[in-house]
Amino acid sequence: MRTAFNRFRLKMTPQRVLSVLFLVVLGYLVIVPLFLMLRETFIVHPLERFQIPGAKIGDWTWAHWQRNFLSDNAYAFFYKPLLNTLKIALGLSLLALVIGGALAWLVVRTDLPMKGFIANAAIIPYIMPSWTLALAWITLFKNQRIGGDQGIFTALTGIATPDWFAYGLFPIIITLSLHYFPFGFMLIGGALRNIDAQLEESAELLGASRPTILRRVVIPLVLPAIFSTFLLTFSRGLGTFGTPAFLGGPVREFVLSTSLYANLIGQRPGIGYLAAVVMILLGVLVLYMDHKIIGTRRSFVTISGKGARAGLVALGRWRWPLAVLVLGFIVAVIVVPLCALVIDTVMLRPGIYAWENFTLHYWIGDASLTVGLGTGEPGILRNSQLMSALRNTMVLAVVVALITGILGILVGYAIVRMRGSWVSQALDQMSFMPYLMPSIALGAIFLAMFAVPRGPIPSLHGTFWLLVIVCTVSYLPYAVKAGVSAIRQIGPELEEAAVMVGASWWTRMRRILIPVQKSTYFSGMLLPFISVTRELSLLILLVTPATQVATTITLRYTDRGWYPYTNGMVLLLVVIVVGSTILSRRLMGTSIAKGLGG
Amino acid sequence: MPDIVLDQVTRLYGKEVRAVSDLTLAIPDGSFTTLLGPSGCGKTTTLRMIAGLDMPTSGTIRIGDRFAFSLAEGVSLPPAKRGLGLVFQSYALWPHLTVAQNISFGLEVQKVPRAEARQRLEQVATALQIDGLLDRYTSELSGGQQQRVAIARVLVMKPSVLLLDEPLSNLDATLRMDMRAELKRLHQETEATIIYVTHDQLEALTMSTHIALMQAGELQQFAPPLEVYAQPANQFAADFLGNPRINLLEGRVARGVFHSAGLDLALPDAMPLPESAEVTLGLRAEEFRLHDTPGPARAPARVTTLLPTGSDWYYHVDMAGKSLIVRQNDAPHLRLGDTVHVEARPESYKIFGADGRALAGVP
Repeated sequence: MRTAFNRFRLKMTPQRVLSVLFLVVLGYLVIVPLFLMLRETFIVHPLERFQIPGAKIGDWTWAHWQRNFLSDNAYAFFYKPLLNTLKIALGLSLLALVIGGALAWLVVRTDLPMKGFIANAAIIPYIMPSWTLALAWITLFKNQRIGGDQGIFTALTGIATPDWFAYGLFPIIITLSLHYFPFGFMLIGGALRNIDAQLEESAELLGASRPTILRRVVIPLVLPAIFSTFLLTFSRGLGTFGTPAFLGGPVREFVLSTSLYANLIGQRPGIGYLAAVVMILLGVLVLYMDHKIIGTRRSFVTISGKGARAGLVALGRWRWPLAVLVLGFIVAVIVVPLCALVIDTVMLRPGIYAWENFTLHYWIGDASLTVGLGTGEPGILRNSQLMSALRNTMVLAVVVALITGILGILVGYAIVRMRGSWVSQALDQMSFMPYLMPSIALGAIFLAMFAVPRGPIPSLHGTFWLLVIVCTVSYLPYAVKAGVSAIRQIGPELEEAAVMVGASWWTRMRRILIPVQKSTYFSGMLLPFISVTRELSLLILLVTPATQVATTITLRYTDRGWYPYTNGMVLLLVVIVVGSTILSRRLMGTSIAKGLGG
Repeated sequence: MPDIVLDQVTRLYGKEVRAVSDLTLAIPDGSFTTLLGPSGCGKTTTLRMIAGLDMPTSGTIRIGDRFAFSLAEGVSLPPAKRGLGLVFQSYALWPHLTVAQNISFGLEVQKVPRAEARQRLEQVATALQIDGLLDRYTSELSGGQQQRVAIARVLVMKPSVLLLDEPLSNLDATLRMDMRAELKRLHQETEATIIYVTHDQLEALTMSTHIALMQAGELQQFAPPLEVYAQPANQFAADFLGNPRINLLEGRVARGVFHSAGLDLALPDAMPLPESAEVTLGLRAEEFRLHDTPGPARAPARVTTLLPTGSDWYYHVDMAGKSLIVRQNDAPHLRLGDTVHVEARPESYKIFGADGRALAGVP
């Protein structure tokens, strides 16, 4: 008994105490909300008591489940959005795979000119907010359906775009796959780069032709990366919100996330929460498939090349035509959309391409102008509402990057150093769970969780801290993953050497563990910074007028049809995220590709 | 300076894996004790428990007259309070610090006054001949230099016990020879107790004053190196030490004679063995003589391989289907396929029972 107590006492090192503490906090922020959300799907909310005969607020009910899955309206409520969601996820991941894979092969394995530039440029669409392209699409191709004006394309060519082209699933799939193809580019490119040249050379010595080598050796070797890309983009497609909101809204084409949002802020919160539950289940399903398919196959991804890099495929006379094609593609997905957005912000009235219609009013005008959109609304840079939202975004991004960065190191440390113990496993799994939750669902959970005070925790609704917490939880999987790999690279001996001379845990952290991996930690913080800056779906349910951030306020302006304001804000965000990515690469040699993982 | 006494130390990983099992060992003050054994035998775990980086599941560790670890007393001294220095196998030099910063880190943590710290740094750097490297980063150093920095970082703390975990395994063969001599000199100069972990029996034989031979978490033999070599406590000890490996012949004893396939060897009178016992006879390569002519206590064999090393010649000979390695230091006149007559020196027989324990041996 006494020795058992002594054993317990001697093992209570600071890191153990810390990890148990993390376990409690994470449990509260990750596990508890799941149950609360499930509970919300059985409860009568204030607005719902009129829809359910005889119900009082707070009663337990099956009505939401019945309505969502079995009623006459179930198709409109649930099945149609579900089907749309699956179509979009499938379409976008296939398209992203093809574009990203082809580009990766061209850049890694051929003698395509200007590869360096292409490789750098190919990442940019992913850094921009995912709905930038959606807004650009609207600016370019909108038709008379929303608010009278026509898009740039129609203005230039005179051809009116059909509805299916301007709005709905088609443009959603196109714009999203153009946002997510960098995943495929990076993952497949990495796998291609790792193939040992000797594997191909042996096939060549045995007399295999180029196409045979590609089919029988190269593609099977990058198959795990292909699956990874597919599942990663598929799961992103399931949860995406901004693009379907912008492009699906005008034609009332809903997906799960937008229907969740509409129901939750509308009259049917119960059904909204149900959509969140379904989205999480879909996320778990995808992860399970990932585990099944890739978990067993991943083994040979690690066969990395020690041998020489394989010889590059000579493209011959296709070299320059392909280069032009790739550059044209990059211009089409980066330059054209951004230019379209810029043009839209400097035209007083949309659709009139005359010299006197060009203006900087939407940027720096004051409230006095009464022509154009948004009468009485000052230009973006002089608009206190917009600028305070932008300030909120920046503060939020910095605070969240710092907190997740530090948390990532500490939790990663606990996971790595206590490997093999249940605490380590629990921390590992728990910090991964937010990854399964589509961000709009996570937002919904935290709405339910912090709307009222619970025990010692006050109601955080409408506070800035609620945004900080939800962002921290949301990016925790990435931060912890970065922290784990950073700490694992350090190896226990570097720390034990400091233990031997009596350095305290805090000294070890400060003097050894953190400085050794500075740039890795910094990369780890860059991703949350960028993600928060462009985050919409996670925050849309949680902001209040006082805590509006740049992205959420942008949506408000879109609702009013004031696109020049929306587009101007998006441009500012693009400048911020692309600028900070380039800056951090210059300063610290960090790369966003590192933080992305797979 | 302290003896280090491990008393019935056991380390379990989970419920099943016994990394170290009931280890009792008294390491004398001032000795150069080598923990020797194949990988996974528990030698590094033992070292880490002595250092305080790992905790025994049961048992006690005393350093001098105080407990470094005892569950009953509720004591587990932090590593820095045990007066030990540990040189890691990977050296564990901090890559973001210069050589000088690496060496002074411990002094800083222990709040040694700046002037004294500077002086100790210079002293140890001079002694280890790295005084010209102080401003370099460790990644700019060669393997041998990194090794010296790792040792300097430990010596600057003036430990009374120096723990070395396979410190030479990352060096190339020539450098390893030099460092062996240097470590031995270091031991003589500092008079510190050294506990040295290695799987290399040659390192153990050449450097140590004591060898603690371990296998599967258990201590096999604790004795001076030449004693372990000449009088192995069991078949494992006989087999693990010595290069080339010892020749082992399985057979049976009858009336003072060892019978094996095609070979009868008379045992010396000093070896009282039970009649008709199943035994294994161990003979080292240098304990044979090869003759051209037959004679009493000689067995015929055929030369199958000849391996000259420059100073010696190793023969593989086939004796009634059993391959033996024999070392001779006179120039060979034998060729492949020749028949030779093998004679073993009876005073060097090592005989092990069916359980592998040494039954008898002549000192």
